Amino acid sequence: MNLDWLSSFLIFGLFFVVMMIGLALLLHLQMGLAGIGNFGIVGFWGIGMYAFGVLWVRADWPFGEPWPFLISLAFGTVAAGLAGLLIGWLIADLDADGIVVGTLGFATVVLILATTEKSLTGGAYGMGGLDFPYDVGTIKGNEASWLAIVIVLVGALLFYVARVHRSPYGRLLISLGANAPLAGSLGKPTFGTKLWLFVVGSAGMGLLGAMYGVMVHFLSPLKIGIEITLAAIVGLVLGGRSRVWGAVVGVLLTVGLFDIVIQLYAPLPASLSAQALPVLREVLFGATLIVVLMFRPLGILGRMRRDKLMRRMHGE
Amino acid sequence: MSDREATATALKPTGSGDGGRPTIRVEGAVKSFDGRVVVDVDELTLGDHPIEGLIGPNGAGKTTLMRMIMHTVKLDRGTITFFPPRASADRGEILSSRPPHEIARLGVVKTNQVIQDFDELTISDSLLLSVAKAPDERLFRIFREDKLFEEYAEPIRWYLDGFGFKDPHGFAMSAGAKKLLDIIRCLLLRPKVLLLDEPAAGLPGEVRDRVIELVKEKASTENISVVIIEHDLNVIWDVCDYVHFMAEGRVILQGVPEWIREHETVVEKYLGSGHVGG
Repeated sequence: MNLDWLSSFLIFGLFFVVMMIGLALLLHLQMGLAGIGNFGIVGFWGIGMYAFGVLWVRADWPFGEPWPFLISLAFGTVAAGLAGLLIGWLIADLDADGIVVGTLGFATVVLILATTEKSLTGGAYGMGGLDFPYDVGTIKGNEASWLAIVIVLVGALLFYVARVHRSPYGRLLISLGANAPLAGSLGKPTFGTKLWLFVVGSAGMGLLGAMYGVMVHFLSPLKIGIEITLAAIVGLVLGGRSRVWGAVVGVLLTVGLFDIVIQLYAPLPASLSAQALPVLREVLFGATLIVVLMFRPLGILGRMRRDKLMRRMHGE
Repeated sequence: MSDREATATALKPTGSGDGGRPTIRVEGAVKSFDGRVVVDVDELTLGDHPIEGLIGPNGAGKTTLMRMIMHTVKLDRGTITFFPPRASADRGEILSSRPPHEIARLGVVKTNQVIQDFDELTISDSLLLSVAKAPDERLFRIFREDKLFEEYAEPIRWYLDGFGFKDPHGFAMSAGAKKLLDIIRCLLLRPKVLLLDEPAAGLPGEVRDRVIELVKEKASTENISVVIIEHDLNVIWDVCDYVHFMAEGRVILQGVPEWIREHETVVEKYLGSGHVGG
């Protein structure tokens, strides 16, 4: 297969966009449906990335690949899920403000741990040694395959989310977001449902984090800053937080537009240094969020429209 | 107060039903807000009769007592126990130590005085939510909808047609429709004890009569114990087999409606004249 058109930069950009769509889809379930405003996305993502990386690189594996890789990947996912269990247990009963502060604080804790636990994580300096668990011959081939894997994974996630909207589980999540005490009075376990959603969502974020770690080969605290959380939230809110395709549309229009189209194809003035671009990106994302919340608070795709969905599913 | 309590005790039903009714027993239940005692019920059994009324002036603690039963308000002291139909005296389920959703699953269900709705859910969504059981709602059950819809289409259709909902896949717009939906959701849960908190308020007269008829029918055919809080005393005198009269957080009179109405002086003292007749 001729992959000349696919530059390494483009592969990386696409990988990042697809992964962000995955994060935004998980956030959609938590925030868009169940009303849990998770501002600690990067924390769970980072735990998955570091737990996976540290175990894979630092452990003395008695057997060959792919087992160490797969075990480490599972470990990163489970570690993020357990973090979700702890944080979810603390916040599931709090109001919206409490959840935002609690999850933000958690992400900060993860960042500090990654910086201070030098013997494991390499501290601020970071740690390398991560690579693809396979070798197809060329670097570009390896990267493209990894991109294909994450596309399949996020595609499956998108399918799952679309099915959730059409299942009793999705209805339960929406009822929690709309009126949790009323759902409780109808026999719905509000705390348990939110907690499990949080655990599974966090585990998914951890898995995406571990996969990102493989793609970049090198982990450092610089990679687990608030930008990841912000990009997922801005993308989801812009697209439409309660719509299945909101995450896809929104992330394509923010991360996709900026990280791929502008950086790759727009004639940026040479005076714009490489250091200025990420800062400019954050400014633009922040401004986008403000404008969307002012003029179209429900995002481009608008409100949920259960009436249309129910007609489609069960007829008139 | 003490002589009144004595009267009340003397007039308790001697044989408490046939023993097969689902009942709720409230014992030593106290709740105070900011030091003010709102509910202080020493002993009360609800459900010995198919339909019971709970009346009293505003602030008597009726709604708070109901919330204590549903455990959406925590008790300061005391216990509330639910006895399923035909349960022996020692086989009760203590409600005051369970989360609200478990109480609903045991079959103790309450409609809301203030309008409550899920804004994003359509009418049929709302009813399907009510009938779905925990196994239907697991996060990996993403192909469950058709089975659920098939299983409950008939009872849901029955309620929708019976109450004239033209567009089940639309949203409940009016306050009356939301209030009615709240009651239907509770009935779809197939409760054993149904607490109705001011069911008549906000419903058009015709709909109100239908709801009351339906509740009466369910109480007699499905062995449901119904407790109605209502300010419209005509409803109480019409449908209730037994009435509990609350004032200042206590149950001070209990008896059949006729007996309560005979004790006009007591009731009038709390409700004002003109409430007893009609």
